Amino acid sequence: MASKISVYSVPDLKNTSDDALPNYLTSLKFKQSHIYTDVRLALGYTAVVISGVLFYADWKLGWDKTKFWTLWAVLAYFAINTALTYWIWFVENGITFVGERNGVKLVISTSTKKHDPIYNVTARYTVKDGSKFVEKEVKAKAPFTRWFTADGYFVAKPFQQFLASEISAIGEADPSNVVEEIGRGSSHEGGAKDIDAQLYKLAGFVDQQGQGGSKVRRRG
Amino acid sequence: MLSSLGITSTRSLLTQVLNFALVLSSAFMLWKALSVAADSPSPIVVVLSGSMEPAFERGDLLFLWNRAPDTRVGDIVVYNVRGKDIPIVHRVVRRFGGGATPLRLLTKGDNNAADDTELYAPGQNYLDREKDVIGSVVGYVPMVGYVTILLSEYPWLKKAMLGIMGLTVVLQRE
Repeated sequence: MASKISVYSVPDLKNTSDDALPNYLTSLKFKQSHIYTDVRLALGYTAVVISGVLFYADWKLGWDKTKFWTLWAVLAYFAINTALTYWIWFVENGITFVGERNGVKLVISTSTKKHDPIYNVTARYTVKDGSKFVEKEVKAKAPFTRWFTADGYFVAKPFQQFLASEISAIGEADPSNVVEEIGRGSSHEGGAKDIDAQLYKLAGFVDQQGQGGSKVRRRG
Repeated sequence: MLSSLGITSTRSLLTQVLNFALVLSSAFMLWKALSVAADSPSPIVVVLSGSMEPAFERGDLLFLWNRAPDTRVGDIVVYNVRGKDIPIVHRVVRRFGGGATPLRLLTKGDNNAADDTELYAPGQNYLDREKDVIGSVVGYVPMVGYVTILLSEYPWLKKAMLGIMGLTVVLQRE
């Protein structure tokens, strides 16, 4: 990831991070499964093939001969398109990685909100509990500033540390990147608020010096 | 070059191509859906000549419907001349037959001095409602079709537009 991106573009930040995610996890010997992408591609290309065949038939045979089949092709096309939309919105729902390592299944979805430079990560994975595996879900978020330099370069190390520290399934695979939270550069509260949090901490610090009175919400 | 577009694997290449293909195929299938609904091979046409002025002018967009039970004198129909694939928009001025025998129509442009017998294929002096007519005009939007007149009169514009559309879809990843 040597390419430079605009740090003011949330989609750029998200896409670069999303691309880095499978790279990192497969390097930890997570075996990546492409099942969601493959279903999406299969649905999408089926629809495209239907319309391609109809286009060719229409061009070769004309309207009168293809009229009957056009109706069915149109119905099939829009049915598949609806299924595809449903799949992307409700089944995939932002899934960027599906993988498995030593019996631990890991599914990671990521999202961003418009104009909000926070990377939201939801990890669902199985944890070994005695002899059987139980499902676990972890939500974590961090501002993109944590792994992007001011001039728009992605830095892998803090990104990996964020994932390994927040998601125990990754932490177990990569213990060297698990770092203890010291309340700097990361936030459980959110980006702009992150600065607030630090200010509050500072205020809290001042508070302890005995200038007291103000209500201080302690965070993270 | 590909990696600069954010394409890192075969799957992401296929996904990008799919996004572009879906845009094109959706447009085509919407057109076909409209065709099926209106029962017409070309449910939207653009007026190419001034022969129907002042009712329609060059560049007007017409919506056609081909499920009307009957076509009467005074209706405006769009027909293709046999052997040529240019749709013509003219008004029905005579009708013959109908019922058990095929309905036959004679048309004329409002702005033309004579009826359309000159325009029809050699030896043809009426239109067959079933075979020749692709629909009756049921609605219109003035002028917006002028873009397509420009596109067909200057074919390089068409290529430029397709190219730009394609590039935008491939390059943006929002």
